[in-house]
Amino acid sequence: MIEIKKLSRSFGNLLAVDNLNLDVGNEIFGLLGPNGAGKSTTVMMLTTLLRPSSGTAKVCGYDIVKDSKKVRSKISYVPQDMAVDRKLTGRENVMLYAKLYGIPDRNSKVDEVIEMMGLSDRADDLVAKYSGGMRRRLELAQALVHNPEVLFLDEPTLGLDVGGRKKIWEHIKMLKAEGMTIFMTTHYLEEAEKYCNRVAIIDKGRITAIGSPENLVSSAGENASLNDVFLEKVKTPEEQAGFNFTQFRNLLRRR
Amino acid sequence: MKAIYYYFERDFVKWLRGRVTVISSLVMPAAWLVFVGLALPTKFTDNYLQFITPGILVMTTLFSSLQGGSLMIFDKILGFLNKFLAMPSPRESMLYGKILFISVRGLLQATVILLIAAFLGVRILKPIHIVLIYLTLFMFSVFFSAVSTMIGLYLSDHDSYAAVNSMISMPLFFTSSALMPYEVMPAWLRTLAKLNPVSYAIDSVRMLFEGGIPVNGIIGLAIGAGIMVLLGTYQFRKAVV
Repeated sequence: MIEIKKLSRSFGNLLAVDNLNLDVGNEIFGLLGPNGAGKSTTVMMLTTLLRPSSGTAKVCGYDIVKDSKKVRSKISYVPQDMAVDRKLTGRENVMLYAKLYGIPDRNSKVDEVIEMMGLSDRADDLVAKYSGGMRRRLELAQALVHNPEVLFLDEPTLGLDVGGRKKIWEHIKMLKAEGMTIFMTTHYLEEAEKYCNRVAIIDKGRITAIGSPENLVSSAGENASLNDVFLEKVKTPEEQAGFNFTQFRNLLRRR
Repeated sequence: MKAIYYYFERDFVKWLRGRVTVISSLVMPAAWLVFVGLALPTKFTDNYLQFITPGILVMTTLFSSLQGGSLMIFDKILGFLNKFLAMPSPRESMLYGKILFISVRGLLQATVILLIAAFLGVRILKPIHIVLIYLTLFMFSVFFSAVSTMIGLYLSDHDSYAAVNSMISMPLFFTSSALMPYEVMPAWLRTLAKLNPVSYAIDSVRMLFEGGIPVNGIIGLAIGAGIMVLLGTYQFRKAVV
């Protein structure tokens, strides 16, 4: 579904994505990495919002630069910002997307996706009255209104409570079961370990590990978790600067 | 084409639901009309209200248009723009929908000012003049909403937008022919006023109030609006890849 070949993107001197090669099939694929690793930049290139500096990528067989409009008709993109209109009702928010995508028979389609996301009884309330989890589900409803083949989710569970996160994941699993490909980024490694078919760890624009969570975890040793794999593969700025525990403790005592 | 309307509809419904903003945007022009229009002692005319009404109408649409760029800023920083741009509908329709909404909002606000002016005794001759006043104001609105959305796309936060807006809106108004005719202006101001695009709109509307047809003014504004929309489209394409 997604073929990435030698994809790079730089911002001035900063190389945000560095020669990325990646193939994603029909699966739930999680892109993990520290802040600033190039996750969002990668997603924005694949969703045609950002032009690559070099390299190519194809989504559903279409080139992300030359056939960007075709790519956009096959995908949906949910950024991490929770961009839903507070002064519109849930139904109006979804209806806007149905109209913009030119969905035939849009009333029933809008009802269907709202029902699917479990928002039917609150569909005519203003979004201002929605909880964070409901807003996220509303965004998923918007994204599903045109039956995309690939769904790009940037931090879909960010800032949600445990129940809200679980619900989002259940919906993501259901969409995968219906044949959709899901490409997502997340910071919650336990969730990635539990729900993703495959994950890749990206650091400073390069992939440092890729595979199914089980394989990555078992290669890291007994009783390991994805967290251990992550810490092993990713050099945090603190580590690079040389974090001095004694010095830090002395600093705290002095106060 | 339909997408433009859907984007327009989104902003319009949101605007109507924000009751405070609907009313607050009308208070200042109405205050100008009543407190300045009815009160300022002038020598060049014995009906200053009649003279200043075109200026206030244009001011209403000017400020409303310049305010409009903040809608673009918010859509950009809150993530709406990226979501819209990742859809297959023509990307520019988002920009045109915004320009259309800002312009229509300006016309609705101008309507309220026109009604207040009529209530205070300002008269218009024929229906055709009213139609042409709206056409003139619409062209003018499109011109400045294209400018303000361009500024909005260029800047990255709302504070700098507000700063730019307050920096250009008042000087544009005061260096136009809104408050006094060219004859009584000091020479330096007259030069500025003749160059100011706001004066074109005011002079045209004033001529319509007096019963004339400002052919040159309307054509000039239409060309200006067209150029600004083209520039806006160019900048939008560049900004969004």
